[in-house]
Amino acid sequence: MSGPILAIETSCDDSCAAVVADDGTVLSNVIASQGIHDRYGGVVPEIAARQHLHLLTPTIDTALEQAGLRLAQIERVAVTQGPGLIGALLIGVGQAKAIAAACSVPLVAVDHLQGHIAANFVEPDPFEPPFICLVASGGHTFLARVEDHASYETLGATLDDAAGEAFDKGARMLGLPFPGGPALEALAREGDETAFDFPTARNVKGFDFSFAGVKTSLLYMIADLGEDETERRRADLAASFQRAIVDALLTRLERALDASGLDRVAIGGGVAANGPLREKVEALGAVSHIPDRLLCTDNAAMIGVAARFLPDCSPDQALALDAYPSGSSR
Amino acid sequence: MTTGATVLAFDTATEATIVGLSVDGVLICERADRPSADERPRHAERLLMLCEEALEQAGVGWSDLSRIGVGVGPGTFTGLRIGVATARGLAQGLGVELVPVSTLEVLALQVRSISPEVRSAAVSDARRGEAFIAVWGADGSPEVAPAACRPGDLVEALFADGRPTLAAGAGALIFRAELEAGGIEVPADSSELHQVGGAALCQLAASGDPIGQEGLLPDYVREPDAEIALQSRSENQ
Ligand SMILES: [Zn+2]
Repeated sequence: MSGPILAIETSCDDSCAAVVADDGTVLSNVIASQGIHDRYGGVVPEIAARQHLHLLTPTIDTALEQAGLRLAQIERVAVTQGPGLIGALLIGVGQAKAIAAACSVPLVAVDHLQGHIAANFVEPDPFEPPFICLVASGGHTFLARVEDHASYETLGATLDDAAGEAFDKGARMLGLPFPGGPALEALAREGDETAFDFPTARNVKGFDFSFAGVKTSLLYMIADLGEDETERRRADLAASFQRAIVDALLTRLERALDASGLDRVAIGGGVAANGPLREKVEALGAVSHIPDRLLCTDNAAMIGVAARFLPDCSPDQALALDAYPSGSSR
Repeated sequence: MTTGATVLAFDTATEATIVGLSVDGVLICERADRPSADERPRHAERLLMLCEEALEQAGVGWSDLSRIGVGVGPGTFTGLRIGVATARGLAQGLGVELVPVSTLEVLALQVRSISPEVRSAAVSDARRGEAFIAVWGADGSPEVAPAACRPGDLVEALFADGRPTLAAGAGALIFRAELEAGGIEVPADSSELHQVGGAALCQLAASGDPIGQEGLLPDYVREPDAEIALQSRSENQ
């Protein structure tokens, strides 16, 4: 292992840079949220890419400053290669490659999903494999069997929407602002989670997920209740909707634990910042690891920590590195 | 002109990836990746590789550079951002000067260097039936700032004075008929004037004014579609 790593993450709408020390300690973890997408009701790829170009340089400077380091003291550069919005990823990849070339240091290409798992490897409280990891966010939802620090096996994944996407869409139906997850969770605290029954893919077998149905049933319920009644019972609707999603995630997680014979479980991704999900994972009875909320949502520290366990690109690979979009793989 | 300057300049505003390296105003080498019509641009994969090849060919290292010039378009949004992000990263790592170069001005300068007595119209492909156009006088003074438009709409208003005008760039080939109908000369399809070249790129990079990293941004010319849609919605309310 070598000296400090500068990590860059631009896969969606947050411009992120972090510095991670040799031993896995996070020296800085800076997230510049673009905050401009609310007005469009969702992340607009072209606008996200333009914003990254504005925000990434000062974000990197701040991450170095907070770590008390100059760029010349960085010994590796890590960057999210994919999956994500291609135009957004290319900003991070382009800038990271150029910094690595200019500073004559190795480049490490990191898979974003591996990064979410690696949020569990952060010092001073790293979780050691093997374990089952649930990763759920606005862009992805899957269950992984993690046997070592550098790879994972996918046990199951969503067949349609991601869990975070379901949260966002449900929140929008209830008139909450984007991004919907945190707002829906706050509203749900005032409601009765058993008030309504929203089925979530009870007949999807194995370790796969489906969240398209739950948002349709919320839509029908809102139509049935009518405007006034919906308004009066918004908190109950939010609480019941949240419970449906969280229970669907937990059911698959429990199945995976049973089938694997492992009793160690971790979570990651933006939805892992959800309070009820965190509580229920802790209550599963397995040895659990729940990262700080700041390490669950997109961030660069998790990319830097993942890079500690990954090989450097060869010099030619580093110069030619391209990003890969959602839906493709390495 | 600058002296003692080692300038690396690149442009990713068109389908091509172009890199030039000059020392004391003399082009030392040029590297280019020009995809054929059925190929996708390869800016991300090729740009830094071509830079490294140019440095090697010139026998200089990254730390010998005094200035980096980057084509800021207008052109393909993704290509422009790859160029700007790369330039910013290099400047962060090397502490060198950064100079934005108008891609259209590169095309115009190439026209002037061959035909010094004509006005030059730089016309690149803006898709959607439009071109990015800017016009410079024979003396190099800017006459029309970069804009996205249909050349046919522009020709009459712009070139009514009958001054000899030569149009170059990929857009000039697409809109050849409209331009020629307005009395504007368009060189043969095979002419190098239609392609961004390393020499003019380096020349403008060497003579341009440096700016701070955070000020270096693409000249998009066009707003994002989502923004246009939002504005037209609020105007209609
Ligand atoms: Zn993510």
